[in-house]
Amino acid sequence: MPLETRLAIIVVLVALSVALGLLWKARTGRSKAIEKGQLIDLAKLGATREGEAVRAFGKRITFLQFSSETCSTCKQTARVFQELEQTADDVLHIEVDITNRLDLAKKFQILQTPTTLVLDHTGRVTSRIGGAPKQSTIDQELGSFVI
Amino acid sequence: MSTQIDPRGPRFGAAITATALAVDVFLSLDASTIAVSHALLGVISLSFLWGALRGPANHPYGYLFRKLVRPRLAAPKELEDSAGPQFAQLVGLLVAGTGFVLGIFGITAGITFAAAAAFVAAFLNAAFNYCLGCQIHVGLKRLKVIR
Repeated sequence: MPLETRLAIIVVLVALSVALGLLWKARTGRSKAIEKGQLIDLAKLGATREGEAVRAFGKRITFLQFSSETCSTCKQTARVFQELEQTADDVLHIEVDITNRLDLAKKFQILQTPTTLVLDHTGRVTSRIGGAPKQSTIDQELGSFVI
Repeated sequence: MSTQIDPRGPRFGAAITATALAVDVFLSLDASTIAVSHALLGVISLSFLWGALRGPANHPYGYLFRKLVRPRLAAPKELEDSAGPQFAQLVGLLVAGTGFVLGIFGITAGITFAAAAAFVAAFLNAAFNYCLGCQIHVGLKRLKVIR
């Protein structure tokens, strides 16, 4: 095969990879609104915080983050939500590790981690964020729950 | 089995792997260099095998990262579990290994396609911090492809 053709194939391969990367970057971490979302049952979820069961939702908004052992951006995501929690007392962050809770992965159709469900004060799912949430997505979600 | 590692380590390794795979695709495109490319894909497969068995921290690239790169970087914001990158190495092994085996049977297009596919994944990991193997781990578990 001529040298030019071989080099062109490599250039196309790299360009394709860059395009895929940019596409993923543009799509990941954005929220998708959910109409008539389900009500989250905290008891069935079995979520704990610092060893204690979570019994109430955030007064304004709850970010329910599903994580797994092999997740590369879950910790970073959790840190962002925890910092947010400290600045607003009506925001709650719950993190659930689904590595060994495949029942939850199935129930909420989780194919990637982190996946974050945004809940209103009654615990109803209003939107869903796949991947590490963008800051603009978090701001937008917070903005839609101003009381 | 799994340990906490600097998430930039696997990305550094992926950059080396992506470069090697791009060279491999290039070499596989000409009859005069196909044997070299077959051998190189074998070496890359062995590198994936090492990573899949012993984890990214115990891989030569992990050693290089700690010795040469890590001292020049600021401390990581958070560590990640090595299980994700280790699983990704297994995915890489499956892809590169398939190409190598196809090469043994004289199907040289198999070398090109396997190296190209593995390149895309390694490139996305290195350049965009998108770890395909990590991302699909939960999904595969859910679909009962892996335990």
